[in-house]
Amino acid sequence: MKRKVLLVLLCLFSINYVFAQSIKVTGKVIDANSNETLIGVSITVKGSTAATQTDLNGSYAINVPSNGVLVFTYLGYVAQEIRVNGQNVINAQLASSNQQLNQVVVIGYGSQRKRDLTGSISSVKGEDIAKSPNTNPISSLQGKVAGLTIVNNGTPGAAPTVRIRGVNSTNSANPIYVVDGVIQTNIDYLNSSDIQSVEVLKDPSSTAIFGIQGGNGVIVITTKRAEKGSTRISFQSSAGVQKVPNQIDVVDAAGFKKLYSAQLTNLNAAPFDFTNYTANTNWQDLIFKTASMTNNNLSISNSGDKSTTLVNVGYSNQDGVLRNSKFEKYTFRLNEEIKFNDNIKVGGDLNGFHYISNPADVTLNNALWAAPIVGVRQDANTYYSMPSFQRAQVGNPIAALNRNDKTSINKGYRVVGNIFAEIKFLKKFTFRSSFYTDLSFNESRGYSPLPFSFINLGEGTIPTTTTIDNSIKTSVNQSEANYRKFQQDQTLTYETTINKDHKLTALAGFTTLYTADQSINGNRRDTTLNIPNNPDFWYLNIANTANPGNYGGGGSESAQESYFSRVNYSFKNRYLLNASIRRDGISKFAPENRWGTFGSVGLGWVISEEQFFKDHVKGLDFLKLRGSWGTLGNAQGFGENLYLPGLNVTDVGVFGNNVYPSVSPAYVSDPNLHWEVIRGLDVGMEFQAFKSRLNGDVTYYNRTTKDILTRVPLPAVSSYLLTNLGTISNKGIEISLGWRDKIGDFTYSFTPNFSYNKNNVESIGDNFNFQISGNGGANRTNSGQSIGYFYGYKQTGVYQSTADLDKMPAFNSSLPGDIAYADINGDGKITDADRTYLGSPFPDYNYGLNLSLGYKNFDVVLEGQGVAGNYVYTQRRTSNFATLNYETNRLNAWTAPGTNNIEPILDNTRSNNYLMSSYYLEPGDYFRLRTVQLGYTFTKQLIQKVGLQSVRVYLSGQNLKTWSKTTGYTPEAPLDNVIGAGADNGIYPIPSIYTFGLNLTF
Amino acid sequence: MKIFNYKKSIIAIIVVSILSVSAGCRKDFLNREAQGSYNQNNYPYPQGAGPYDQFINGAYSVLRSFNVTVWPFIGIVSIRSDDADKGSTPADSGDQIQMDNLGVTASNGLVDAFWTGHYDLINKCNFVLERVAKDPNPNTPDNLKIAAQAEARFLRGYAYFMLVRSYGRVPLVDTVITKSAAEANIPQSQPAAIYQFIENDLTFAATNLPASYDPKFVGRATSGAANGLLAKVYLYEKKWAQAMDAANKVMTSGQYDLSTPYAQIFNESGENSKESVFEVQATATASNPTAYGSQYSNVQGVRGTGQWDLGWGFNVPSTALEAAFEPNDPRKARTILYAGGTSIYGEAIPAGLPNPRYNNKVYTDPARRAQIGNRFGWWNNVRLLRYADVVLMYAEAANELGGTANKTNALAALNSVRARARGGNNAILPDVTTTDQTALRDAIRHERRVELGMEHERFFDIVRWGIAADVLQAQGKTFIVGKNELLPIPQNQIDLSKGVLTQNPGY
Repeated sequence: MKRKVLLVLLCLFSINYVFAQSIKVTGKVIDANSNETLIGVSITVKGSTAATQTDLNGSYAINVPSNGVLVFTYLGYVAQEIRVNGQNVINAQLASSNQQLNQVVVIGYGSQRKRDLTGSISSVKGEDIAKSPNTNPISSLQGKVAGLTIVNNGTPGAAPTVRIRGVNSTNSANPIYVVDGVIQTNIDYLNSSDIQSVEVLKDPSSTAIFGIQGGNGVIVITTKRAEKGSTRISFQSSAGVQKVPNQIDVVDAAGFKKLYSAQLTNLNAAPFDFTNYTANTNWQDLIFKTASMTNNNLSISNSGDKSTTLVNVGYSNQDGVLRNSKFEKYTFRLNEEIKFNDNIKVGGDLNGFHYISNPADVTLNNALWAAPIVGVRQDANTYYSMPSFQRAQVGNPIAALNRNDKTSINKGYRVVGNIFAEIKFLKKFTFRSSFYTDLSFNESRGYSPLPFSFINLGEGTIPTTTTIDNSIKTSVNQSEANYRKFQQDQTLTYETTINKDHKLTALAGFTTLYTADQSINGNRRDTTLNIPNNPDFWYLNIANTANPGNYGGGGSESAQESYFSRVNYSFKNRYLLNASIRRDGISKFAPENRWGTFGSVGLGWVISEEQFFKDHVKGLDFLKLRGSWGTLGNAQGFGENLYLPGLNVTDVGVFGNNVYPSVSPAYVSDPNLHWEVIRGLDVGMEFQAFKSRLNGDVTYYNRTTKDILTRVPLPAVSSYLLTNLGTISNKGIEISLGWRDKIGDFTYSFTPNFSYNKNNVESIGDNFNFQISGNGGANRTNSGQSIGYFYGYKQTGVYQSTADLDKMPAFNSSLPGDIAYADINGDGKITDADRTYLGSPFPDYNYGLNLSLGYKNFDVVLEGQGVAGNYVYTQRRTSNFATLNYETNRLNAWTAPGTNNIEPILDNTRSNNYLMSSYYLEPGDYFRLRTVQLGYTFTKQLIQKVGLQSVRVYLSGQNLKTWSKTTGYTPEAPLDNVIGAGADNGIYPIPSIYTFGLNLTF
Repeated sequence: MKIFNYKKSIIAIIVVSILSVSAGCRKDFLNREAQGSYNQNNYPYPQGAGPYDQFINGAYSVLRSFNVTVWPFIGIVSIRSDDADKGSTPADSGDQIQMDNLGVTASNGLVDAFWTGHYDLINKCNFVLERVAKDPNPNTPDNLKIAAQAEARFLRGYAYFMLVRSYGRVPLVDTVITKSAAEANIPQSQPAAIYQFIENDLTFAATNLPASYDPKFVGRATSGAANGLLAKVYLYEKKWAQAMDAANKVMTSGQYDLSTPYAQIFNESGENSKESVFEVQATATASNPTAYGSQYSNVQGVRGTGQWDLGWGFNVPSTALEAAFEPNDPRKARTILYAGGTSIYGEAIPAGLPNPRYNNKVYTDPARRAQIGNRFGWWNNVRLLRYADVVLMYAEAANELGGTANKTNALAALNSVRARARGGNNAILPDVTTTDQTALRDAIRHERRVELGMEHERFFDIVRWGIAADVLQAQGKTFIVGKNELLPIPQNQIDLSKGVLTQNPGY
């Protein structure tokens, strides 16, 4: 109340005092919520270089023109401007930005107050992303945003798979990223510590402004700018170790001998002679290691009256837990803005990025499949080969690892930059012109060394021999690829407030986007000389041109041109209207199908601004209802120029020893191919209660994709038809809650989120009803079911005896010990018609639980995240091309009636047991303790003596514990292939990471 | 502040923006051709002779592919028979185990791959026919059009002949599918209709194909190949007179004879010899050891280690085949490679191999292996139709037709094959002299078995002769009459057709 009186007085004063003279102003700055004094708040005089900071008591003093404006800024709080109007004492109350609906969110080609939004946009602050030691910033969003599914990948440097509100399309379901305005699909060049905020635009009304690019959702990333009025140096560093949290349980040598002997008995084959196989090797122990990782970031910012500058350099280095794999990343960014005056601003960004990566040299399945009865090696050049029953199919994993170690050099360079100019004119208009460039260049060189010698241990009458493959010669390879992107945005914004009640922002714009790439590669084998294992020689020309080699190259080009407009209007902060329209032209499609129009409309009602609400409802501080609708397109994952029937020219005709080119149609193309169309509704409620301690957001959405680009396999033609076919819907609910409070020195917040998504393929095909098979038929997409579901037989048990076979439905070829399947169609026997829906690889439920605690100088963060309702397909267990090592579940295999009713007989020729069935599915539900962090911030008095502004040290643990029923390294089975998702084929483990970190600000 | 002129800068920025906007609006900004790839409108089809060669080459490329003449092929035409065992290690390849045990299920991967491979070939042939029919160049000479049609119809006839023998009823697709998926969903035809279709294709091919080609096109389909294949088709239809007539056209064409020594036929140097009526062409270079080749020899090669890792070791000669040869028949050594024995190039084969016997007809020349820098024999041609096969077909048709003159011709034909096998050693393989139709029939069947051992005929032959159940049951296999003569229709294809395709009896 006092504050309002003060404001009214200020307004009165402002009318009277119009002449400027410098006066001294003093005052105190406190937290609006807790009334605590705030130390180190920067106070600047708007339009000048004068600046100061609050002292230990929260007090300040500054000389300022009597008609000037003071700007109060403080990290984590909303900046406030107060007109001096001749006062000598100005006390300010700053509101924490956490609790602010007035926070501004970036919405694409502009920004808007969160309270004025009518669509679903979630914001995550950069500091919450920088907390996790991930080399890819998107990985850190996992569990923080309702409706966002992130599947992380433990491979160093690998990007996670991102899904927003389910799966839209049978093609690519990846969202796009808009980083400071430039549209990206790959954001590996970003430094997690350099991100100011991330906004996830989830619903069609929010993404419609991005037209054909926005179909799968948009993630807007804003990088840091220099903070006003200060020169600041900050340094963050962390170092840690990574460990594989759990191995896959495979049998040891004794177990293997037992099971393989049992299998041979079942096959009526002669027993295997294990005499020479005396080793007991745990291959997983040998391929994994405890790996180190570091993250370092130095940021220097300076802000003056006319210009702001920010320089950021980062270095991170992650060794893989799989030996030899590694990823190093260097980042650099320079941001500069120059203000000529209040109306003209120019500036730009320059990002540099460089990576060095070593890929894995051995597959995880190789270590799982290799028999444990073989030793590793005799000496550095002589390894043991696998026993005869798997010798041709399974190599010695350590031989592969060591032979390929340090034989490839992979590097990438990327420069992303933009320049812009912004002009304000006629007071209400802003014209902004931006040009973006993204150039990247990847190169690799490699070497294929001579093979090792292998000892084939004697089996039965066959003696032990040592062999070396003399036909293998050394070879070298080189490849280079470059990617080019040019984008321009021209926007004109009109912003006005009429009679205080009507707030209007109107935007019109034009944008073009051009992308192109080019690649070239080659390899050459020296048939006479042995090229040394030394990178100095790894160039194609090391082998003379008479030697055999292969060379290839290709490129692509794509262009897009768009016009767009948007209106944001609010009346009395109570009634909200947002609408947008966009017209896109894209080169991928035929000229007559190239142009499309997309748009959205959203309405909101802030009930808490109504007088009746204020009069009658207590405890609720804020309540908003919103609803929106939008339509947009999706062409992600489409090749270029698909409408022109492609030609397959790689096959050749051969006559004698002559080779002739051939041409055949690659596919049958629908000449009217166009993009997929996405339409959707979003209805939500946002509220704050208990003096803003509680805030929440509940949203229902219903989104439909139609005209999905589909490859219809043609029976009896062995080709496919490319056409727009089918409709998929995603409906769901998202709930985000936050509770923040402070009890004395103790602060805490709890911010859970939850989302539920129901996916349904409404129809695929019209007169011809068909299904899309994925992953060799294990997944299926057809009308009436969720996309890419697991399709196969349902296990009911194991046939225990011939009597069982007589009374239970079975295949003609079923035998005792085989898996018994459910007779779905009830015809008394098992046939292919008994295959059915077995579950979905995509989780129905995603949730995140984030708890943070603070007590005096200590802070604790606990973050957990989980999914439920999906299944994981243990595809790694389905291989029967050779005898492979057994996972421990096979120790319980059926041997005689009554022995086991789940695990079938040990006999890899019983193909009925290798059919896709529920036997190979595991519930994918999991909950993972994602982050545990304990931090300590040093008291200012202590560190200011040594010139430091703030010092925080912390200990952090990532992925410490996972609760799950899956048997793989991680329950996060890959979801990137939409129609063949959820298979565990040896997924790279998500390591547990233990880090120590230090943040310094000077 | 004077250094900066507000209005000027505004003008400058707006001018730059307008320039860039108008650059973006260039009319052709959105016209982007595919980079580095052709489409059907811009392929620079060479003018002049053979304007359809590019398309026909595509069909030959499919003929060479894994699904048509390699992996499913050896299972379906050979491992199923009494002459071959699966080979490799005991548990290797559940799909091939099913072939060996005759326990093939509708979800067997080989059954589906063989089906799609052959329809791929048919589709490529239909594409050639469509290109001929819709040739944008009105000046293409008719003789070139007819030659292209004949070549396409030969390959299509071959594909349908493999399909009808393997699956019985299959859909007859004779056009390029262009519009909708429904258009491609064609129900199966009865075998009689399919045989009629094959006869039409092969008769057209036989009439219009050349008898031979310039050496740079050696291996393309000839009228001899079409007549030879047609003779075989007639044998399956028991149209003895037509079979005899078609075979006779091959024998009197002057293009073929039995002069190539038996042991040389299967060498690299024996490719496209006078013995060769139709063989799948494959080659390799040191730079491209596999791209131009066929994996046919690789999947059957000796499964050793190091230098003896020549392949996967599938489709190995059975003891039954071993026993079928007459005493000292030199063809046995050229058909069966023994572990611990000596190769035809004098190398000592190691004793410790997973299988005691391998298919010796795919054994490659070690000099060629060293030259290519690859052990896996991708350069080996697949001998699909040999002259001796045609001669024995003639003998069989003549004997079945009966009558003294025919039987005399049959005996002469049979003995000409035995004479070549003898290789000048008169102590072995005496001439057959019987004129009893049944005894002669048995002699011809025996000769087919040993002359064409491991050469893709045995399973179809025993089914055609109606002796499959006896022969295979004698080996302890479960051959169900009325079922195991045919493969199941692939479940994948039935699923794709939503039940328009129906399953074969017993599956």
